[in-house]
Amino acid sequence: MHRTSSWIILPLVLLLLIGIAGCGGSSSVKRAATPRIAVIISTLNNPWFVVLGDTAKQHATQLGYEVVVFDSQNDPAKEAAHFENVIASGYAAVLFNPTDADGSIANVRRAKQAGIPVFCMDREINDTETAVSQILSDNYSGCVDLGRYFVKQVGESGKYVELLGLVGDNNTWNRSRGFHSVVDRYPGLQMVAQQSADFDRAKALEVMEAILQANPAIDAVFCGNDAMAMGVYQALVAAGKDKQVKVFGFDGADDVVKLIREGKIVATGMQFPKLMARTAAESADKYLKGDRDFPQKIPVAVHLVHQANADKYGDYGRKDTE
Amino acid sequence: MRRRREWIIVASVAAATAVLLYFLPLFHVVPLDQARQRSEGTAIDPVALVDRFWAERWTSSAARAVDAVDLMTAVQQDRKSARRTHSRSVGVGGAYYYLVAGTGRVTSVEKDSVRLSLRDGQPQMEVALETGNIFGNAVRDGTGLWNVNDFPNSQDFNALSSELNHRIEQQVVPALRKEATVGAKVRFVGCAEIMDEETDLHPLRIVPFIVEAP
Repeated sequence: MHRTSSWIILPLVLLLLIGIAGCGGSSSVKRAATPRIAVIISTLNNPWFVVLGDTAKQHATQLGYEVVVFDSQNDPAKEAAHFENVIASGYAAVLFNPTDADGSIANVRRAKQAGIPVFCMDREINDTETAVSQILSDNYSGCVDLGRYFVKQVGESGKYVELLGLVGDNNTWNRSRGFHSVVDRYPGLQMVAQQSADFDRAKALEVMEAILQANPAIDAVFCGNDAMAMGVYQALVAAGKDKQVKVFGFDGADDVVKLIREGKIVATGMQFPKLMARTAAESADKYLKGDRDFPQKIPVAVHLVHQANADKYGDYGRKDTE
Repeated sequence: MRRRREWIIVASVAAATAVLLYFLPLFHVVPLDQARQRSEGTAIDPVALVDRFWAERWTSSAARAVDAVDLMTAVQQDRKSARRTHSRSVGVGGAYYYLVAGTGRVTSVEKDSVRLSLRDGQPQMEVALETGNIFGNAVRDGTGLWNVNDFPNSQDFNALSSELNHRIEQQVVPALRKEATVGAKVRFVGCAEIMDEETDLHPLRIVPFIVEAP
């Protein structure tokens, strides 16, 4: 009799637990005594993202949190594992730089369900209901400005090359589309080669050397980030063409801003990693102190940096505003 | 003894299940409204948005525009004050925008713009109406009619700018080029984007979405 009753009770207890777990969508994992913030970055193999992660860590630490930085190494599986870890360990908030606009939504949703607020930095996710707020760099508009300046500098006719970043990354295409929304309006501007160099300086050097073999007479190169612009410039110097080919980058890396001042690279789009990281850390702090009034998206403008204004920029920002 | 052991087994299984379900719940209870919103998703049609704007642009925007002479006077007196009073901006660290209306006399016709004098004999009262390819977000952000948070992603928000610019190129720029002979009077409503105050305020470069001969 007793034996039978225990095997009846077991399924009932299980059902009750299933119900409780299901209703606990916004329940929170027990928090550590000192609140901890996780900074999850798409990759720390690029100095720009290192600045983003370090600044987020620095500001969150100043605000009184224990901070751990996670490197997703551009791998959505690693990113998902970081979120599992963060949720299980009871972090208070996540400052997040996603690897994939669609693929990262599920991770943010899991954190939300566990009661952990997520603040996206630089890159957006294609969902407006999961992250508390998204502090985003407007890559498309930044490259529209860069495209306009490109036409001013190169003229309405000429031959150019485009080096793309990672082809699976949204920012690669936002930048390329912004740029082409301008230059494609000028039929005299002919793109003789478009290749990916994965946002990587060494690969850009290699790709550019090959392109120059097939297309020795080009007027300009548009690069989807500054690391590639540095690689391209290096290839042009080696080929003795650095004076005749105009190079354009994107990011606002310090070494490129320096070369713009020296007249060696024409322009870049300055993103503001420090401003975005600081805004994300401050937003997380406000949220954890009870504030719930956040815009879903906070666009951060990209500034065009060229030789005439390069002195106003440096250290990943504008000198008079950061 | 045996009964006790059975209860220990039951309790252990229940505890293990509880831990498992805590981290991996089999379902979630959500409000119906929230579930419906999720399933409906969002579809943004930039052409439809611009159609609506175009039909209502006199009442939705022209009526709110600052007078160009008042704006230029305010800018000359105190840029910061003019910005505080008349401009709007989107997000952090970027450009700001003026929604502006006025009437001026054509002083020159250039490749990508038409220069207007708002007051005869006062060169500081000149503005330039864009007549080349239209790029950027001046009208989208200058009119203040759309909020980035209403768009599921920034690509949709940028598609709106592209469509607005395309409409202006198709329907406003040709009419302006036709009217713009030196000495002719032109009435306009449009938006100016100020990224760099040193270069963008003199002359104020305006993307017009309404032009007509008064």
